[in-house]
Parts: sequence; structure tokens; C-alpha cells
Amino acid sequence: MGRPTSLTLRLTLLFSAVATVVLLAFGWIIERSIEEHFVLGDTQELKVIGQAVERSLSTLQSNHDLTRVKQRFDDILVGHHGPLLYISDASGKPLYSSPGPDLSLIPLPSPNQLSQGDIQQWSDSQHNYLVHIQQIAGQNNGPYTVIIAVATDFHLHFLSSFHRTLWLMVIGGIVAMGLMGWIAVRHGHRPLHQMVDQISRISANALTTRLAPDTVPIELTELALSFNELLQRMEESFIRLANFSADIAHELRTPVTNLMTQTQVALSQARNTDEYQEILYSNVEEYERMALMISDMLFLAKADNGLTPPNVEEIDLESEVHNLFDFYEALAEEQQVSLKLEGSSRVMGDRLMLRRALNNLISNAIRHTAPNNTVTVQLSTQNKKTLIAVQNPGVPLAAEHLSKVFDRFYRVDPSRQRSSEGAGLGLAIAKSIVEAHGGEITVISDDTSTQFLVSLPVSTVLPAIS
Amino acid sequence: MKLLVVEDEIKTGEYLKQGLSEAGFIVDLCHNGLDGHHLAMTEHYDLLILDVMLPDVDGWRILKSLREAGKEVPVLFLTARDSIDDRVKGLELGADDYLVKPFAFSELLARVRTLLRRSASPATELSLSVADLELDLARHRASRNGKRIHLTAKEFALLELLVRRQGEVLPRSLIASQVWDMNFDSDTNVIDVAIRRLRGKIDDNFELKLIQTVRGMGYMIDTPDENT
Repeated sequence: MGRPTSLTLRLTLLFSAVATVVLLAFGWIIERSIEEHFVLGDTQELKVIGQAVERSLSTLQSNHDLTRVKQRFDDILVGHHGPLLYISDASGKPLYSSPGPDLSLIPLPSPNQLSQGDIQQWSDSQHNYLVHIQQIAGQNNGPYTVIIAVATDFHLHFLSSFHRTLWLMVIGGIVAMGLMGWIAVRHGHRPLHQMVDQISRISANALTTRLAPDTVPIELTELALSFNELLQRMEESFIRLANFSADIAHELRTPVTNLMTQTQVALSQARNTDEYQEILYSNVEEYERMALMISDMLFLAKADNGLTPPNVEEIDLESEVHNLFDFYEALAEEQQVSLKLEGSSRVMGDRLMLRRALNNLISNAIRHTAPNNTVTVQLSTQNKKTLIAVQNPGVPLAAEHLSKVFDRFYRVDPSRQRSSEGAGLGLAIAKSIVEAHGGEITVISDDTSTQFLVSLPVSTVLPAIS
Repeated sequence: MKLLVVEDEIKTGEYLKQGLSEAGFIVDLCHNGLDGHHLAMTEHYDLLILDVMLPDVDGWRILKSLREAGKEVPVLFLTARDSIDDRVKGLELGADDYLVKPFAFSELLARVRTLLRRSASPATELSLSVADLELDLARHRASRNGKRIHLTAKEFALLELLVRRQGEVLPRSLIASQVWDMNFDSDTNVIDVAIRRLRGKIDDNFELKLIQTVRGMGYMIDTPDENT
């Protein structure tokens, strides 16, 4: 399948086809009615002549009236457009024959038709005629056979020339209609071309441009609106991408500056082995942080391209959280933070990914909990949704932070940026994992605590086992 | 132990060779797939480290040829691309491990040793020891100088890992993965804290400190003889 034919061509062809059908039908009707009109006129004339002949014949009593009657016939014929008349008596002897073709050559119809009068077409070698044949009763040697013929050449001629003209008109009409159709379509498409012009002016730098839906024809409003929506989405992701790139550059600038400065200072004068070693150690730590950031960013980049959980299986969240508590036990104890798990639930998902999401949430909670407090993880199944709540007591998060905590590189407290918090990608990663599982993650904060709430949808949830 | 490294990045290749040589391996290095393919097929190696993306014959092809020729040498792939498809492809072709750039050299070294050990006979010993530290694997008990040391399950697992691989520097990510099954880059502080607590139990009351921090690389347990 190639691409569909152009709209202009399609519509033009459609116009031409419609024009063809209409014009042909119209032409055919006109031709028919003219032809009928001619036949009707000729028949009328033949009948008038026939009646006159019949009247004259009725006066014919004997053979010596013949000359007078023939004179009458001549008179009758003069008043019409050159008709031909032939009369024979009962014995078949011609009584009267007008000059011209021999009408006695015309085959006679059946006696029944003959008595009622018959109309037929006849042609000799040169001309076409409409012929009226009738038997008329008479006293002298009757009944008489009367044959009257009028030439129809003129009419036929007219018809055939009309036919030709009609054809030319039809063809011309079709061409004209096609052409006008083409112009009309082009004209009708103008709003579309204008839209295309507008769209083609939109570049990555001017994504804020929008089409004005009320300046386009009603049929295109929908198109303009959905195009605007597309632009909106593109603009958002473009801004996000641009911010992300800026963030990456910014995040990398600090460690690279550190590395460069440190190395150059180290090289500026001779030092002993221990000092060199110290510098290399410090460099390695910086490199590791950068490598971690790179792999986190790659994970998020993949998530942006649509992340699907690779191995979906049934996961006992209770034991997953227990394992994570095991992992964090030492750290939490050292920070005098206790870890508490309430409830249980199961979910269908990718173990490694969900573990990573939970890990990031728990790690975040421990980090933001003051000593002698408790981080609580609550598992439950509600309304066919698996809910995971990770809660830690602490100062309330301002609304401006709440909406941004899942943004990449976002840190509530910028001064803590280079400390234990990592690259600030943990919550963004947790969010993309939850979303890859078709769930959602929200954060609420009140005066006493901050709570991250993960909700995984019914389609991936199994009933909780008590 | 003889290793083959096929890596087209000149600098990476040279550093890998240097690092692995200094770790006690004999290392052959190739900078292109064709030579690598030839060497892998004709020479005997204990382990292959292949870059997936090579300009001519890529890592997959080399691995495929090897397996088709019935060579069961362990293969560790290095790649800059981390996609599930690549991993699956590698595993299907019979790769033994997969490391995504950028990686820590200590991580590579630890994985190389794991693979080499795996191809050797599996460990079935019932007890392990370093200096005066003894681990009873069956009863999960540790003692030092005859004195019982109480450890949690995870602490014992951590200690067992260090002792089993004594003399090897274990990066934090490997420890997290082996002891807690955390196979992603997690909070490395956790490992530091766990080691600190283990030290408190193992080393603090003893003259001889067994657990050592190798700055920038990780942790290891080493006997004093090898250490000096």
C-alpha cells in the first residue's frame, strides 16, 4: 500500500464524476424529448394530411371525378413541407402518386393495422421518411390504400448535430467542473495551508507558540486543539529535558572542579608518596560519586523511554521490607532511629525494581529522622490497591517543596547537597519505578511527620495473605 | 591464572592490564575483535574479559564462536550500554557476568575472582579461619582466640564473606549484593556502619586488627603475614 491519493485529486475526480453523470443524464433527457417532439409533430402532420385526403376521397363518386380529386390532392400537399402521397384503389391500381420516390415499394402492414392506420419509418436510398398507411373506404373502386410520407431528414440531421453539440458540451462541462472543483478544493484547503505555515514556523526554540482554534474553520478546530495539546506535552518534556541537562551539567561541575583543582594543586610542586596517595583516594571517592550519578541518570533516562518491569512475579512486601530493615539496621541504630513495620501485603511486580524503590524511600526517611524517633512502614490492601506508606516524624515540608521532591536533583535543603544525600535522584527513581508498575506515589506532610504513600493498582495486586 | 582482555579503548585496556597484572594475573590484551577472536580460539585462558562493542568482531561473536567450539572458559562482558535486551542476549549466549561502565576496578577484580573460584571446585569446608579468628560455618559461630563472639546473622554473613575472600579488597557494592542482596547502588554508608560495628566486635578488644579499610576501594580481611 502506497500512501492515499491526494485530497485535491480525489475531490477533483469526484467533482468530474458527478458532473459527468449529471450532464449525461441531462443530455439524454433533452435528446429524447426533442426526438419525441419531432416524431409527434410529423405524426400530427401526417394525420392532418390523411384527414384531408380522406375528405377528398369521400367526394370521389366516379372515375370522371378523378381529375378534380387529383387536383385537390395537389392542393393539399402544397400546404405542407413536401409530403409524398400515393393512393391505390382496391385492385392495387395507383390512383394518385406524387412525384418523387415510389411509395408503392413500402411493404403494407397487416389488414387489421391497415384499417386503423399505421405509422412506420421508411427510408429509400437517399432519404428517411415517416410514413402513414391507412385503408379508406370509398364508393368508387374502394377501399383505397393511402400512403402518406414526410421526409424526416431535416429532423434527423438536426438531432445528430444536436447530439454532437451535446457531447461537446458534456465533455466541456466535465472539464470545466473538474477545473472549478480543483480550484474550489485548493481554495477550500487554504486554511489548512495556513495552518501548515503556522506549524512550520514552530521550532524547538518557540514551543510556546499555539494555534488559535477560533481562527480556523470549524472542521479544523479539533485538529488545532489536539495539535496544541501535543505542543503542550512537547514543551513540558522539552523544558524538563532542558532542565535535566542543565542539572546534569551543574551537578558534574562541582566534582570536576574539585578533581581539577586538587590534581593541579598537587602537581604544582613535588610531594611525598603519602600526599599523592591521599589525593588519589580523594579522587576515587569523587569518581565513585560521579559514576553513581551517571548510572542513576541512565536509569531515569531509560524510565523516560517507558520502563517495563522485566520480571513480574508475586512479591511478599513484608519480607522485602524486613530485608531492607536488616540492611539499614546498623545505620539506623547508629543514628538512634528505630524502624517499625506494620501490616503486610503482596504485589505483582519486578522484585529488584520494587526493592530499589522501597530502599530509596526508607533510606530517605532514615536520613530525615531526628534521633530517638521511629520510621514506620505500613503495608495494607485497600480498595483493591496495595498501599505502602513510609512515614517519618520531622518538621513539615513546605508546599513549594512537596510538589518538587520527586524532581531530579531536587533537595529540600540545598546546603546538604554534597553530604549523605547522594545525587538527589533517589525519590525520582522511586517515582519512575512506581509509575512503571502502573501505580502512583504521593507525599503528604503535616506538623509532625512526612509520609510517602505508594499505591499500586489492582491489576498487579494479589489478595493479601493473613 | 591467565586472562585475555579484549578492549578497543586503548587507555581502558592498558589500565585493566596493569591493574590485573598487579593483582597477580597474567594478562594478554587485544585492541580489536579479530585478534581477540583469534587468541581466544587458539590459546588457553582461565577467563576472558570482553568489551561488547568492538569495531570489527564484537564481543557477542567471540563468545558465540567460543561456545560453538565447546570452550567453557568463563566470560565477563564489559559494556557501556545497560539494557535488559543486552543482558538477556549475553546470558543466552553463555556469558558468565556483565559489568556496566563506568565500574570500579575493585568491583571488576572481585567479580573476576568470583568467576575463577566458581569454575574451581565449590567450597564445602565447615570452618574458616584467619589468624586467631575462627568461623564455625555449620553452627554460625565466630570466635577469636578461643573466645566466643556474638554476631547477628547478617554480621556473620559479612564476616564469612570477608574471611572467605581474605586478602581480596571487596568493594561496598559487592558486599551489599552478597550479604544483603541489594543489587543496585544503594547507600554506601550502610556498609561503612555495618563494618564499623563488626570491627567493634571482632577487632576492638584485640591487638591484631583484621578488618582493613582500603581507601577508595573497599574492605578486606588480611592475615598479618601477607600484610607486612
